[in-house]
Amino acid sequence: MKYQSQSVAKLYFVAAIGLFVGQILFGLIMGLQYVVGDFLFPAIPFNVARMVHTNLLIVWLLFGFMGAAYYLVPEESERELFAPWLARLMFWIFLIAGALTIVGYLLLSYSDLARLTMNDMLPTMGREFLEQPTITKLGIVVVALAFLFNIGMTVLTGRKTVINLVMLTGLTGLAVLFLFSFYNPDNVVKDKYFWWWVVHLWVEGVWELILGSILAFVLIRITGVDREVIEKWLYIIIAMSLITGLVGTGHHYFWIGTPGYWQWLGSVFSAMEPIPFFMMTVFAFNMVNKRRREHPNKAATLWVLGTSVMAFLGAGVWGFLHTLAPVNYYTHGTQITAAHGHMAFYGAYVMVVLSIISYAMPILRGQPAANEKAQVMEMWSFWLMTVSMVFITLFLTAAGILQVYLQRYSDSPLPFMVVQDKLALFYWLRELTGLVFLVGLVLYVMSFFAKGETVTLAEPETA
Amino acid sequence: MRGRSRSEVQRASRAALASLLNLTFLPVIGFIWLLWLYHQTSEGRIDRYHVRLGIGLNLMAAVALLLATGLMIWLGGWQSPWTWVYVISYFTLVHSLFILIATWAMVRAWSGDRLTRRAPR
Repeated sequence: MKYQSQSVAKLYFVAAIGLFVGQILFGLIMGLQYVVGDFLFPAIPFNVARMVHTNLLIVWLLFGFMGAAYYLVPEESERELFAPWLARLMFWIFLIAGALTIVGYLLLSYSDLARLTMNDMLPTMGREFLEQPTITKLGIVVVALAFLFNIGMTVLTGRKTVINLVMLTGLTGLAVLFLFSFYNPDNVVKDKYFWWWVVHLWVEGVWELILGSILAFVLIRITGVDREVIEKWLYIIIAMSLITGLVGTGHHYFWIGTPGYWQWLGSVFSAMEPIPFFMMTVFAFNMVNKRRREHPNKAATLWVLGTSVMAFLGAGVWGFLHTLAPVNYYTHGTQITAAHGHMAFYGAYVMVVLSIISYAMPILRGQPAANEKAQVMEMWSFWLMTVSMVFITLFLTAAGILQVYLQRYSDSPLPFMVVQDKLALFYWLRELTGLVFLVGLVLYVMSFFAKGETVTLAEPETA
Repeated sequence: MRGRSRSEVQRASRAALASLLNLTFLPVIGFIWLLWLYHQTSEGRIDRYHVRLGIGLNLMAAVALLLATGLMIWLGGWQSPWTWVYVISYFTLVHSLFILIATWAMVRAWSGDRLTRRAPR
């Protein structure tokens, strides 16, 4: 690696992968609980498993983004990280706080956890994805501020590139928008309105800046295409992300008690949200097609191309499927939502973190790319995870369509639990496919330990 | 395939774009554009290749999407929820795959290459 301080990224990447495994185990627990309702009850009830699954997802992705930033920012800025000791300290604080929170979810009742963490002093608990105790949220703010300070000082005192600045903008947006998790109005409409300022404006807003900048960084390194070409694409992609995604927040305001004009604004703007994802697909394919070098890291190339495709499918296509208000009226909160959510998160954010890990980890371990055996295992894990996610999405889509018809569209709608019973086949198929996903993930972890002949770089990477 | 000129690459790119537009925002119109482009291209050149590719891809898409889903609706019945389970899932996935293939074709056309092989430089 070019700068010694990039090595802090390894800590973050290892933690990210470890938490990813935890996330998937709890996902499998819930998948079984869908069809065997009493599985692990009362030790790990469904609602607890769900909190663990979703919170682990968000935390491991945050570790991934931080690792990505600690890796690429020094290289882009052409200087060492401002304070590597701070990065290491924040890593341990974030990891320990996160682990304690998960332990809290598992060992205490939620009300006891709230009491123990003095939630009533500043109540922020009780909202989906934001279940963390207030004290954990405050810890996240401290970690985020320290992280931004570290990265910000590195960028501002070094070379300023488009990639650097877009990454910093995205990360700053992530931190600022998280502050809305502290705003917890009593009015249910306002509560939901501002909840989306964290969730939507993260995943359909500032996180797309992070996604774009990481993709751009890896593509420059792997393909050797001119920086100016890649950075021009990045600007246009992030512009479209924000133009469509900001007012596109309105697709979450259809039915929560806000004025009716949101059905028009939300539908029109969110219908255009696939555009930046489509552009990322064209961008990634074009850069790889025009490559000026044959980089030995074939696995990272596959991850990058796969990210752009799956993000387009999961976030773009499946998102579009239920984004228009007249459709969403019927599909809201059904398994269609779950289908989209899983493929979108996997395609966009899981895969981009795995892309940067695939590229950077060998370099952090002293090689330009992983050995051939490791890359083959990694590519197998790519296909296993990606294809199984496609099938998970298809099964949930099928379940969702049936659910919509029987529970909402039909002239004589059936009750929720009666319909859930009729979807059992799809839930079993989803669970089996989830096991295949786990096999892929285990293979992915094993690939880091595969021994083989060292690969060499034919020519040095240039920026 | 012999080396290609700038105007050939431009026509190839337009053909690939027409193909993609036919699959997305301008169905039928995109196809008519492809047919019109056919007459502007010459046999054995990259532009004719991409026009042919676009026409072939879109005809396959028409069969795979319109004919297949039409059959599903006819056999399953309009009123059955299972018909829509198959139709919507199938259409979404297959349509997306055709769009991805057309997108890759467009990227290849931009560099004057065939879908899977590089043209001689």
